Amino acid sequence: MTLSRRGTRLEVGARSQRNKHSPANEGALCRKGWAAAGLRGSRERLTSPMVRDRATGEWSAVEWDQALDMVAARLAELRATHGADANAVFGGGGLTNEKAYQLGKLARVALGTSQIDYNGRWCMSSAASAGNQAFGVDRGLPFPLADIEQTDVCVLVGSNLAETMPPAARHLDRLRENGGKVVVIDPRLTPTGERADLFLQPVPGTDLPLALGILHLLDAAGAVDEHYVAERTTGFDDVRRSVAAWWPEMVERVSGVEAGRLRELAGLLASAEKVMILTARGAEQHAQGTATVLAWINVALALGMPGRPYAGYGCLTGQGNGQGGREHGQKADQLPGYRSIDDPEARAHVAAVWGIDPDAIPGKGRSASELLDALGTPEGPKSLLVFGSNVVVSAPNAGHVASRLAGLDLLVVADMVMSETAALADVVLPVTQWAEETGTMTNLEGRVILRTQAVDPPAGVRSDLEVIAGLAARLGGPRWPTDPEEIFEELRAASRGGRADYSGISYDRIRAEDGVFWPCPDGSGGAPRLFADSFFHPDGLARFIDVDHRGAAEEPNDDYPLHLTTGRILAQYQSGAQTRRIKDLPDDGAFVEMHPLLADRVGAHDGDPVVVRTPRGEMKAPARVVTTIRPDTIFVPFHWVGANKLTNDALDPSSRMPEFKVCAAAVSA
Amino acid sequence: MSAAAVSCNTSFDGLSGRSDRASSPANDVLQQPVRGDRIVIVGGGMAAARLVEGLVARGLGPQTTVLAEEQHAPYNRILLSAVLEGTHRPEALTLREKQWYAARGVDLRLGCLVADIHRDTRTVELADRTTVPYDRLVLATGAIPSLPPIRGTVRADGSLDPRVQAFRSLDDCVRLLALVDRQTLHDRPRRAVIVGGGLLGLQVARALAVRGIETEIVEGRDHLLSSQVDASAGKVLKRSMARLGTQVYLGARATRLTEEGLRLDNGYTLETDLVVLTAGGRPRANLARRAGLTVNRGVIVDDRLRSIDDPHVHAIGDCAEHDGNVTGFVSPAWEQAGVLADVLAGNEATYEGHRVVARLRATDLDVCVLGDPRNEVGEVVEIANPVTGTHRRLVVREGRIVAGALVGDLSRVGVITQAFDRQTVLGDHEAGRLLLPEPMPAGAARPRLPDDAEVCSCAGVDAGRIRACRSLEDVRETTRATTGCGGCAPAVRQLLATREPELSMEGTPL
Repeated sequence: MTLSRRGTRLEVGARSQRNKHSPANEGALCRKGWAAAGLRGSRERLTSPMVRDRATGEWSAVEWDQALDMVAARLAELRATHGADANAVFGGGGLTNEKAYQLGKLARVALGTSQIDYNGRWCMSSAASAGNQAFGVDRGLPFPLADIEQTDVCVLVGSNLAETMPPAARHLDRLRENGGKVVVIDPRLTPTGERADLFLQPVPGTDLPLALGILHLLDAAGAVDEHYVAERTTGFDDVRRSVAAWWPEMVERVSGVEAGRLRELAGLLASAEKVMILTARGAEQHAQGTATVLAWINVALALGMPGRPYAGYGCLTGQGNGQGGREHGQKADQLPGYRSIDDPEARAHVAAVWGIDPDAIPGKGRSASELLDALGTPEGPKSLLVFGSNVVVSAPNAGHVASRLAGLDLLVVADMVMSETAALADVVLPVTQWAEETGTMTNLEGRVILRTQAVDPPAGVRSDLEVIAGLAARLGGPRWPTDPEEIFEELRAASRGGRADYSGISYDRIRAEDGVFWPCPDGSGGAPRLFADSFFHPDGLARFIDVDHRGAAEEPNDDYPLHLTTGRILAQYQSGAQTRRIKDLPDDGAFVEMHPLLADRVGAHDGDPVVVRTPRGEMKAPARVVTTIRPDTIFVPFHWVGANKLTNDALDPSSRMPEFKVCAAAVSA
Repeated sequence: MSAAAVSCNTSFDGLSGRSDRASSPANDVLQQPVRGDRIVIVGGGMAAARLVEGLVARGLGPQTTVLAEEQHAPYNRILLSAVLEGTHRPEALTLREKQWYAARGVDLRLGCLVADIHRDTRTVELADRTTVPYDRLVLATGAIPSLPPIRGTVRADGSLDPRVQAFRSLDDCVRLLALVDRQTLHDRPRRAVIVGGGLLGLQVARALAVRGIETEIVEGRDHLLSSQVDASAGKVLKRSMARLGTQVYLGARATRLTEEGLRLDNGYTLETDLVVLTAGGRPRANLARRAGLTVNRGVIVDDRLRSIDDPHVHAIGDCAEHDGNVTGFVSPAWEQAGVLADVLAGNEATYEGHRVVARLRATDLDVCVLGDPRNEVGEVVEIANPVTGTHRRLVVREGRIVAGALVGDLSRVGVITQAFDRQTVLGDHEAGRLLLPEPMPAGAARPRLPDDAEVCSCAGVDAGRIRACRSLEDVRETTRATTGCGGCAPAVRQLLATREPELSMEGTPL
């Protein structure tokens, strides 16, 4: 995206108008992009810190110094009374790299707390965990997005990119023009599915057995790349045997996908030279999300694809800075540079950059859902600082989350509008919007890009970086920088030698090269494509990991006979805190998508309200009757308050990802 | 176990008479398994393999011994017909390698024949007269194929006529493969007769036909798949087989194998080079019977899959009889294996029966049987089209699909099976509509778009605004349609092409 002024108006344009070389989206934008400037000047924009009186619930505007003094004093007091872990920090995958880095430092250095995590935990953490286990590294796409056009078969598992990242759908079209095939796997026939040559419609939560069944068929047909498996991987024997139990009819029974469809897909994969398998939230947001991704990685490895040009496995990012946001320290278990917080060497390196004793860096904290669940409990944090997240709308089992927030001694939210979460806070700090600040993001390809400030922020608004520095200063210690480039220089040093090594990247270089791929150690050229010769495990080999299907944490029963799945729609983004406030974007509110067979069963009519219930909560919204969804499944978009009151907070054992994508539900007219 | 039906009768009606359990609660406490118990499994089939996986997952691998008769590590028996058909490599059948068992401390003994069970001393006696002591014995001995009494199949010296083949084990399959794989046309069988028209018989017939062998089926009952489907569905199947080139003889028994061929009791003699016996099987319970355990059709077990006579003996899979049912299918066997793994680990678990879905695996032949559609009571929804070779039937009780048979058309099988397995309560019209063709997918045959129909969802542009544009460039400039995901470009071109002249500004046609 690029910004320009036309008179007093701010215009968002495709980057191609500025720079013809923007391969990920080819300069195309979607409606959310064009409309993104619409929030500027909105009357809902906050321009002064606000403090809420707990007794009366009344808000009053205060000066910045007053707000920051008050927050810092309360944080210090809570730390003195209950220990450092009494204070917690919650970040977001939309924050720039510089903010993510500073937020991690704020928690570990200024607050000394281990309690920091972020909403990215609810986004790509399963793919991240699987990537680390299988390849020894987690970079969403190990190749540029445009490589899609050059593959033979592109399999999208649980991705609706035509709606969630519309410009990327052009790559699919180009692939098909080139004679390639697109396969889409989704419980709903989405606009992405409509572009598919082969569409599989499984029961939510069964992408894993589908992968097991595909590998079964590939092995049965002798389509495994035995040479590649022997040379470049370990662990295949157990995986190969375990899928002998997943013949197509068995998969059909579990997944609801006809065995013939599975055979078609296996045939397509077996005959293709280049196969690209891409997962997204549909496959990942499950209590078995990591295992699901691993099962698809196993398919890619058995076919010998990762490391081959225009082939392999990748994960499609969900948030603007989903990739960078998880590399620089706002994750409970990580230090900058994608380093493990348990690794003594990593702690020593980062401590040296921060100028503190390695022992002063706290250990691993709670993951996002566990952190929110612990708030206000005797053992849990007493305060929470929220940056770039609207947890009341986006967290699973959101009703429970709201009640946990209410149990806090102090809730501070930095946001540009009075989001649903901000409305519950004691202190709200008004911060800049993306166009009003500079910073780097790391896109889904692992390409670090620079977004420069286009306009001045409204009076009274400060950047997150200024807020963080202001709090850090009040909590004692030296002055922290607020200039993004200065912070990036520190981030470079902190990431040096880590898995996500940015030490060779500078603002100047990003400008000159239109983005630089990590890992990029000092003096190197960056790495658009990974794994050509070696994977990132010490022995250079990829790992096959034996996984089995356990099913959803909550299966339908007589009281809740349906599967509920959730997702995004084109005109909205995440919790909708921004997009719902832009009048150019249609906001018709939430809806309940259901098949005519189901509508008839419950007596629902298109457009009329229905009530959806799960064991955790209920919501009311109009029915949207479509033939494109499985009759045993309903879909609710999660941009509005409601959907996440229904979702299940059961967690994946390794990624701690909640099961957003499936739970048992009932619907009534 | 194989897909071949071993006279399967699956009743899930909770009201149907359940036999009284032999054990009292006090007895249960005394008989709780303890860590360190020696677990001995007789049998190395799919049920045994799944049980071992469950035991290993619960940390009981090192105290487990498997006595398997076949020489092969446990393999997926139900895919043998796919191997025969050539769609499945035989090497890909293995469920777990021998090394896998060894690495987890499991004592897997292949080629191990069990002679007797001595319950008094809790030992198993092997054919070589050595003994294996147990604390917990699991019978997973499976089923034996019932060989029809056909004279002439056994030669004077006691060996089987080389033209006759059973089809149950990997060895059977390998032998048969060696026959049909022969390169020289001369001694390759040209014609084959399959004795038995059940699931396995149909699969084998298709497998051989796919390999270019002329096949015929002889079935003693009056229609194909008689254990699963009714006569009208059987008739459709027979026609389908005929269309695929396989002749079917019904109500006929093979009586004698001669030089001329296989003689039937209806007077026909079928000239043949190969006779494959697939006439079902029965639970293999002779060991249990000799050991004095109660055996009806199978070894009778309670909800914890224990013999009702001896709490130290369990049975699962084809050889077990639970609540009056023997199954002959893999999914209940695996479910039982999961329950028994829990029971042996000392966890609370009971087996309460299982819904069976039988699925035929053969090229160009689509059959799915849910439960027992012949005997299950309920309202019947049925749609048949003999011309297209389809017959689909659902048995519905109180809104739930309790049984069904889908022949020749498996569209929506994935939805129907889910509703059956989960016992979803359907609407009044739903069962019937599930058998009708899928509604047209969205956008398949779009009529003329009304002006307010959204064409570009990226930019939120409707058909009217596109029609008001003069060119694609005009569309891009003024509406931003086609510049997002690009998916609407074909529709936009179509709209511009069919644009009515009078819609253009000032009535100047372009």
